[in-house]
Amino acid sequence: MVIALVLVVSTASSVLGLALLADSHATFDRAFSAQRGAHVVATIDTSRASTTRLAATAHLPQVSAAAGPFAETNVTATDSSPGAPVIDLPPLTLAGRPAPGGPVDDITLQDGRWPQRPGQVVMESNTDGFGVGIGDTVSVTSAPGRPRLTVVGLATSVSRSADGWVVPTEISALRSREAPAIAQMLYRFHSAGTAGAVSAATAAVRNALPAGAMTDTQSYLNVRAAQSNQVAVYAPFVVAFAIIGLVMSVLIVTNVVSGAVIAGYNRIGILKSIGFTPGQVVAAYTAQVLVPAMVGCLGGVALGNLLSVPLLRKTSDVYGVGQLGVPLWVNLGVPLAMCALVAVAAILPALRAGRLSATEALAAGRAPRTGRGYLAHRLLGRLALPRPATIGLASPFARPARMAATLAAVLLGVTAVTFAVGLVTSLRRAVADLDLTKTEQVQVFLNGPGPVPVKGPGQAPPSAPQSGQVITAALRSQPGTAHYVLEEDGQYVKVAGLVQPLAVTAFVGDARWTGYALSSGHWYTGPDQAVVPKRVLTTLHISVGDTVTITGTGGRTVPVRIVGEVFYQDHDGMTMLTDWRTLTAADPGLRPDPLNFQYDVGLRPGTDPTAYVRALGPKLGSGYGVSINRSGGAEIAIALAGTLTLLLSIAAALGVLNTVVLHTRERVHDLGVFRAVGMTPRQTVAMVLCSVTGTGLLAGVLAVPAGMVVHRYVIPAMAGAAGLGVPPGLLNVYGAVELLALVLAGLVIAVAGALLPAGWAAQARTVSALRAE
Amino acid sequence: MDALVHINDVTKRYDGSDQPAVDGITLQIAPGEAVAVMGPSGSGKSTLLNLIAGLDRPTNGTITVAGRRIDRLSETGMARCRRSQIGMIFQFFNLLDDLTVADNILLPAQLAGMPRVQARARVAELLDALHIERRADAYPGRLSGGERQRVAIARALVNRPLVLLADEPTGALDTATGEEIGQLLLDLNRSGQTLVMVTHNPELAARYTHRAIHLLDGRITGRTGDMFPMSRTAEARR
Ligand SMILES: Nc1ncnc2c1ncn2[C@@H]1O[C@H](COP(=O)(O)OP(=O)(O)OP(=O)(O)O)[C@@H](O)[C@H]1O
Ligand SMILES: [Mg+2]
Repeated sequence: MVIALVLVVSTASSVLGLALLADSHATFDRAFSAQRGAHVVATIDTSRASTTRLAATAHLPQVSAAAGPFAETNVTATDSSPGAPVIDLPPLTLAGRPAPGGPVDDITLQDGRWPQRPGQVVMESNTDGFGVGIGDTVSVTSAPGRPRLTVVGLATSVSRSADGWVVPTEISALRSREAPAIAQMLYRFHSAGTAGAVSAATAAVRNALPAGAMTDTQSYLNVRAAQSNQVAVYAPFVVAFAIIGLVMSVLIVTNVVSGAVIAGYNRIGILKSIGFTPGQVVAAYTAQVLVPAMVGCLGGVALGNLLSVPLLRKTSDVYGVGQLGVPLWVNLGVPLAMCALVAVAAILPALRAGRLSATEALAAGRAPRTGRGYLAHRLLGRLALPRPATIGLASPFARPARMAATLAAVLLGVTAVTFAVGLVTSLRRAVADLDLTKTEQVQVFLNGPGPVPVKGPGQAPPSAPQSGQVITAALRSQPGTAHYVLEEDGQYVKVAGLVQPLAVTAFVGDARWTGYALSSGHWYTGPDQAVVPKRVLTTLHISVGDTVTITGTGGRTVPVRIVGEVFYQDHDGMTMLTDWRTLTAADPGLRPDPLNFQYDVGLRPGTDPTAYVRALGPKLGSGYGVSINRSGGAEIAIALAGTLTLLLSIAAALGVLNTVVLHTRERVHDLGVFRAVGMTPRQTVAMVLCSVTGTGLLAGVLAVPAGMVVHRYVIPAMAGAAGLGVPPGLLNVYGAVELLALVLAGLVIAVAGALLPAGWAAQARTVSALRAE
Repeated sequence: MDALVHINDVTKRYDGSDQPAVDGITLQIAPGEAVAVMGPSGSGKSTLLNLIAGLDRPTNGTITVAGRRIDRLSETGMARCRRSQIGMIFQFFNLLDDLTVADNILLPAQLAGMPRVQARARVAELLDALHIERRADAYPGRLSGGERQRVAIARALVNRPLVLLADEPTGALDTATGEEIGQLLLDLNRSGQTLVMVTHNPELAARYTHRAIHLLDGRITGRTGDMFPMSRTAEARR
């Protein structure tokens, strides 16, 4: 019974853990192979390489498949749908593709249809922030005559080969006058498992082309790394839980099974005395244990699958690969591995039993060999504690191996709890740090939520100074305003060393109070300084203290010193936070774009954001939006951590339950004696509970540092998966009171596991046990 | 003289058996008396003793020990009553193997919350009286059968019980050792200890007790002896 229960829990957590792990590793890869993603997207200067030379690269030994050349161009564009405000889009790469399919980079059309004639475009659906939908109009502002394109579909390329696709003949009309004629070649390689393999194969292609023909390449490994995919962030902590769960299952299963075999010695002796061979004994015994084990494994697989459904669904549509389930190898492998483990754990002690003579087996079925608990009883007996307590405290020493395994199980349970508590705190703080909900409670912007067109077609937008004056006047007159700063979020600069323009979040005025968390360095103190997220540092191979050169639209270059690493996730971490004057130094004519700015507002302590927003709204009038800065996210991670911790704690408590049940069963005779000499039921319960308090406390004391170590390794790994460095505030999450409570968690788990058998022990009809010596 | 133990029309039927183990027994035991319970195996002797000890509850009837209805007490109440009023010894001693002799004897006193110093003194006194003082720190596993039964008797006596219940106390001992234990119990009884002893052995019963009741299939089939202990024991000792 206990075997089945423990196996349900441990199998379920292993299945869930492995499923998520497999998912976080495999979702991109699965989509990538299903869509025959390009290992490398190469940009080719078509004036230097002929179509025949390009076609020949498909036959290179390193290349398994190639597609292209597809003409492409980089453009700037606006979303200029009729009746909606004009919005600048980030710089776009448009490629000409006759059809979405092909031997490489089979694009998934998610909505609408593929362009059939000039003037139509399909947009990459997986890039947040474009904000354009089917039927919208995109004006290519960088091309002569500002051609307009109608969005006819949304599609996704797992290779991220372009931001939009048009018919091939249209590309030349979308190029600006000075833009070179370029095209993209898409390659799949035979060997592309590592960055080294990818660059070796890329070099082979480059060498097969005229010098300078290949101007740029994008490896699928970078695309994969840049996926800000939730599961990748989960992977480190799910792995941690899965490992804890697996080790714990091994311990508990071994403990359960060898305990059951020991308890069955008597039976084995009887079987042998009526003529069973040792082999038959081993077989009979193993089978008896395997049946509940198998039931437990199957139940666990079912439970694990059930739990994984909502979690896996979260990620399945991102790649357009349809509903994901727990992989078959997990569903088959986990129960098989568990059953194998149970079999091994059962056969070893059963073999020992098989070799025993009948009389030995009958004798071994008695209470544990005496001699082990003596010293413990003597020493503990001297303590000034009630006798039932000291007897209970000493009792685990009679079976040191079992005590050690139980200790380890509780230890792992408390480790999981400690880690989970830290994880949840870190996640909450990370969300608060990313969204600045603690410092920047309110945001004011133009074109508030709701269908209020700020600018009809042909109508001039309100100028930045105009709307800025309206907003600052309202903010200044509103009691409760502590700080405000203008944040402009729509600019891009060219940074030496980056192919794509880098997004810039620029502040007009002091923004230090907004409280961006820094992993290292400090907030910028002047216009020649900036802070960037970790991903920019790693992509540029620079560190805090280095200087980068930025180029404005006019071609002016200015040096900017990177003075800090900021904990910031917008634009997938490819962004720079700096003073507005940094931008104007590179581009003196630049003006804040009212449609891209917002005022960040910090409130005085004690000000209610809701009341503040209600009061501010009427002062601003229509055309302005005010919203409370609310944080979202991390709920899934918190729920998942909670579920896994609960499962592991239950498993640990079941491990304790099993130990106490075995112990009680072995000691049923002693319990009879205790009763005969006048032990009350309450004293019996106290005695049994005391038999686990030592183990529980010790486990707690050892597990809390262990959980903290796990936390210290897993949080940076999670942040790393999201391309973020870790501010110290996310790591130092354990308070003294919290730690004390966590130490006691071991006691709670142990007592919870022992409570039931303690009750049984107190109620047990022990009269007959007294006779059977 | 008022009886110490009143057993009134007591029946005990175990779950799942239609034959009662004890069937309508009425019996009274006076203070200072020594009573033998006799009968073939399975006749209900141990069951009767366990009922008096409050280890089990009668299906019907009442049991009163020292004026208290023990069949009506809660589990806790029965345990309290047991440790203050009743001492039990068994055929197979039922000592706790991982406690020393002294700790075994001490246990009921500790459970009853007797002050430490007083309890230690009592244990020393009993070790002395039962001639096992040299074994105080030994473990039961190392003792002879006779020594073990002495330890069990000491443990049963540590809280000065009103009644000492002995379930075949000499059954697992050789004749000579059995004699010794029998003599010990007789001495205890002579110093005023009420004693109820289960035995198969009519000779033992005749020598060490004042009267005997005979059970068969849970019923009393006969009584031997009388209510005048002194003359009878005096005779038996010769
Ligand atoms: N715990 C129990 N559950 C069910 N039946 C029991 C239990 N204990 C004893 N019995 C039955 O009750 C009857 C009386 O048993 P008891 O142990 O009182 O006999 P006894 O006279 O002490 O025998 P012995 O001389 O062998 O010790 C027997 O038939 C026995 O099988
Ligand atoms: Mg009996």
